[in-house]
This record gives sequence, structure tokens and C-alpha cells, in this order.
Amino acid sequence: MLNRSIVKLAIPVAIGALALTACGSDDGGSDGGGGGGGGGTTYKIAFQGPLSGKNVALGENMQNGIQLAIDEANASGDYDFTLEYVATDDRGEPGQSSAAAQLVIDDSDVIAAIGPAFSGPAEVAAPLYGEAGLLAASSSATNPTLTEQGFPTFLRAVPNDNAQGAGMAQFLAAQDGVEKVIVVDDVSPYGEGLSDVAVESLTELGIEVERASVPADTPDYSGAARNVVQSGADAMIYAGYYEALGPFAVSLESAGFDGIGVSGDGSNDVQFISLAGSASDQWYLTCPCTDATAEAATVDFAERYQTAFNQPPGTYSAESYDVAQMIIGAIAELGADANRESVYQAVATGSYEGLTKTFEFDETGEFTNDAIFIYQVEGDGIEYLGPIEELTGG
Amino acid sequence: MSLQDFWDVLVLGVVLGSLYAVIAIGYTLVYGVLQLLNFAHSEVFMSGGFGGLIILTIVVPAADPSGIQSVGYVLLGIAAGALIGGGVAFGLERVAYRPLRRRGAPRLVFLITAIGASFFIYNLAGKVFGRNAARMPTMYENKTLFTLFGTPINVTQALVVASAVLMLILVDFVVNRTKLGSGIRAVAQDPEVASLMGVNIDRVVSRTFVLGGLMGGVAGFLYGTTTQVWYTMGFLPGITAFAAAVLGGIGNVRGAMLGGLLLGVVEAMTVEIWGDSWRYVGAFAVLVAVLMFRPTGILGERVARTA
Repeated sequence: MLNRSIVKLAIPVAIGALALTACGSDDGGSDGGGGGGGGGTTYKIAFQGPLSGKNVALGENMQNGIQLAIDEANASGDYDFTLEYVATDDRGEPGQSSAAAQLVIDDSDVIAAIGPAFSGPAEVAAPLYGEAGLLAASSSATNPTLTEQGFPTFLRAVPNDNAQGAGMAQFLAAQDGVEKVIVVDDVSPYGEGLSDVAVESLTELGIEVERASVPADTPDYSGAARNVVQSGADAMIYAGYYEALGPFAVSLESAGFDGIGVSGDGSNDVQFISLAGSASDQWYLTCPCTDATAEAATVDFAERYQTAFNQPPGTYSAESYDVAQMIIGAIAELGADANRESVYQAVATGSYEGLTKTFEFDETGEFTNDAIFIYQVEGDGIEYLGPIEELTGG
Repeated sequence: MSLQDFWDVLVLGVVLGSLYAVIAIGYTLVYGVLQLLNFAHSEVFMSGGFGGLIILTIVVPAADPSGIQSVGYVLLGIAAGALIGGGVAFGLERVAYRPLRRRGAPRLVFLITAIGASFFIYNLAGKVFGRNAARMPTMYENKTLFTLFGTPINVTQALVVASAVLMLILVDFVVNRTKLGSGIRAVAQDPEVASLMGVNIDRVVSRTFVLGGLMGGVAGFLYGTTTQVWYTMGFLPGITAFAAAVLGGIGNVRGAMLGGLLLGVVEAMTVEIWGDSWRYVGAFAVLVAVLMFRPTGILGERVARTA
């Protein structure tokens, strides 16, 4: 009998402990919301991305951009509907993606979704959004294969890694003394996809390439850093996210790597600098995103963002703002006819002139614009250098 | 692999392995005494990392410190890691395990509670400290300290290995030469008889947790110094150290040290030969192979009969 009463006690304790862990993923929650607004019908615009877990800074950049677009639309009084923001957290992990997507799909007020933010989760969730007939417009999932799989309602509102990988290769080929490049991926769908393209583009440009894979959860980067130095490469491309590149760059510095370091949009966040400190200095970061604070078209947006969130916009903030605006515009145009399907059709076939670029999609849902921009870490900040094409004269 | 490569990689393996060894001690001590797999030990390790990070963020100035200052910061970080690690382990024993032990709960319940406590602590840490990783403030200039077999050893590497060796010697001394150690061994051998002989079981168990927690906390700080600190940082090193404890013979303190070092070296060699994505494939193949021939681990036995 004694044992039974213990089990009675232990089970609620264990369940309680497990239930409390659920708090972990509620940051993004379903709060947010748009405040005031024009009344009438309420439409929800969802965002799926990493709002906890590693690389959360990238998700928050996008979330803020979308939130700002919705708040501004509600406050403008231009629309006869009210918008509400809902977020769902996939932690940037494929394993969390279908549950996150399902939460959005099950909410019948959601008329369009922005995301999933990362390529791995996008691959998992896109079929679900397709079945539900709900638009999933990602402003940051760049793995090229995503649009080749025929997902019914997936749109990629960002140039893919074919453009980014080629941009990296083009940039390195234009630098003096780069004869051999080592390309390291983080064994994620994003990293491997970007790495494939970078390796191919470098080979086409006649540069010797060595390829390596270092999983993002590696406990110790010193071995990997040693191998990079031993490869004798003049430059290294890292295809992965900032959270792993931080300690990797530190290890590279202590291993004595003195070549050029290049990484992509997954590392393009000031968090990279705070994790790697001086080891991040002079690293180049490519991105299909422009610097909202530098480009004339987005300076005004950057100021409003700064006022709203007390920080400058980050990677994909402005692009996510644009995508949200594009969806809001479509809803307004459709008027009473706005539903999941009509919104998808309107966005997929339309053309939208955003702050950052023109948003248009081909029949596979692929973005039609492929401009890639380059940044460089300078001291405590990331400096915007401009479009790669202009810098390399290509 | 040239001979020089071998030495280089051996050094990397020993550095990583010493961390595993120190974490593995926490698993082994608790298992030796209670036959309990304390999976929340990963979170004790993580707490130590945050303990060091927070105190150093407060005291270390932005300018590069040097000399005696650096030594002070390192000692302060170690102390903070130990204090927080020990504290969390103490709290864990009191809140999560002692009530179950008092009521004679089955082993399985302890295991579930351990997993629950682990989830609870790291999610709480994520809530309190945020989900982003953070870097330890610069405590010293990480230059090459000396050269061993032609391999340069930097300050961080020397610090990790020296601290680990000191801690391992200390814990070995405590278990084999002190009154607390006799108590630990007595409880491990036969709790009922130990209790009849006047050993206060609750006190011994609590102190065993604290001893393991001190080690885990310092390991967390040292690991944070080599990479970064984040709320789920305990998971992988924790699992690997647990495997190391089993490899050496779980419940055996010297076995945990040996298992940790061995696993660290095997990991580093695997990475060198096959690349980083094979890290755990190689390490765990060795683990399975060793356990097939020696199911009780390399040194077998338990804390009760010290090796």
C-alpha cells in the first residue's frame, strides 16, 4: 500500500515538472495582437519561426518586422478590417515544425502565414500548409530545393541559396590570393544546401575547394579549426548559423587561421559578434537582405522600428515587414472575398513593390529577384558594403 | 596521420576528456551511493556555467585584464561555478529525491523525476537567462603557454586540464581518505548496515550530491570558457559524460575519470580521421564494443570497493 501512495504522489510531481517545461515554448505565445484598428472582420496573420531555442535572435528580428506592419495597418485607419498577429514557435527545428504549423492551421481566423523562417522546418511544414490551403510565405528559408518540391501554397519571398552561394564564390574569386577555399557546413538543411551551391560555384570559377561538415551542436570546435588551418585554404565559407559560428570563429582564431572568413545570412546578426568577440572581426557576411538602416528606401522604416522596439532592425526585419505589408494589401484588395485561398492566389500571382525590393514569384513559388548583398564585421558592428554584383563588377 | 598530428589531436582529446571526467564523477558518485541515474546532473553543469558567467560579467572590466587579475578572475569563476553547482545539486536532492527516498519509491520513479527535474531546470534557465548563448568575458589573453611534444598548449587548455586534475585528485582523496568518504563507501555498500552503525544516511547522500555538484559546476564554468554558455549546454556533454561513467564502470570514481578521458580522446581521434560528423559514431562504437566485453565497464565495481 505504501508503494501505491508513493506512485500517486510521484505521478503528479512528474507530470507537474513536465507541464512546467511547456513554459519553455510559450514565449512567442499567441499574444501580441494589434490594438486599435478599423473594426469589422478580424484577420490573423501568423508567423512561424524560432522564438526560443538557438538562433532565436533571427526569429525575433522577423517577428518585430511583422508586428510593426500589423500595428501600423491597424493604426492607419485605412482598412475596414482589424488585423491580429499570432506567432508559433518551431525553435528553428524540423522536429517542432509540424506541431507549430498545426497550431496556426487549426486557428480558422488565420488567413495567411509568414514562414517557416528556417529551411529545415519549412520542408516539414510546407505540405501541411498546402493541405490547409493556407499561404506560407517565408521571408528567410533559402534552401534551393524547397521550391522544387511542388508545395501547393509555399512562396519564397527571398532570393535562394543558389544566388547566395554563387555570390559568395563570386566575391571570393574577386579577392587577391584566394586559390583554395574550404567550405564547412553545419549539417542542417540550410547549411548543406548553401554549401552545395558554394562548392559548385567555386569549382566553376576554377578555385580549388575542400569540403567539410561540422554539426552545429559540436561540443568542441578546436579539432575542426585545426583541420581548417591544416587544409591550407586561403578562405573559409561557413554555411550555418551564428550560434555555432561564434565558438567556431574563436577556435579558428586560437588555431591561427588567417584566411578570409565568409558566412551567410544565418550568421548575419550582431549576436555573432557578441559570441565571437574579436574573433569575428573582418568576417564577411552575405545576405539576400539589405541593411534597412543604410538603404534610402528603408531608413524611415528603420527609424519607426527603432522607436517601436528600442533596437535597430536586424536581418530580415525589413523583408518580413514587406511580406506582411504585401499580405495586408492583398486582403484589402480582396475585400469581402478575402479567404485563405484567395489571399494565396492574389499574393502568388501579384507583384508588390516593397521597401526592400519587388516581390514577384514564378509558378513554383520561387522568388524572381536574386540580388545578394555583403556585409563585414568591423569592431562592434556589422558594416553594410553593398550588392555583391557592384563590388565585384560582375 | 603523422606523429605530430597524433600529439596535436591527443591534446585536444585530453582537454575535452578531462571535462567529461569531471562531469562523469557527479553521475558516478550519486549512482554509487543511491543506484540513481541523476539525469539532472547536466543541468547542475549548466548552472555552474551561468554562475561563472554572471559573476564575471559583473566584475570583469571591458579592457583586457592581465597577470594577477586574470588569476583572480579565473578563481572567482571557478568558485562561482562550484557554489552554484553545489547549491543546485543540494536543492535537487532535497526537493526531487529525498521525499521519494523517504517513501521508498521504486527506482523508475527516481529516473522519471530526474528527467522531469532536468527539463524543469533548463527551461527555467531559458526563461530567466534568455535563449541566446553568451560568451564568457575575457579573463586573460589566450596565448600559447608552453609546447608539449611540439604541440602548443594555450592558457584555456592548460587551465581546463590543470583544474580537472586537481579536482579529480581531490575527489579521490575525499572518497578514499576522509570520514565523509568512509560514509559514502559504507552507504554504497549497504545502507541498512551503515545506518545501524550510526552513519547518518541523509547527511551522506546530501553531501555526495553536493560533492558531485561542486565538480559539475566547475566543469560547467570551464566548458563555458572553452565555448559559450547557453541554457541547453548541459545536454550533450551530460549524456557523453554519463556514457563515460558507464564506460569506466558506473559507481567507480576512478573508472569515471578513465572513461571520460578515453571518450574524449576517442572523439578527438574520430574527428581527425573521419571528420566532425562522425564524432559520436566513433565514440559510441567504442563504448558499445568495450561494454560487450566488459559489461560492468573497464574498472567495474562500485564506490563501495574502491579501485
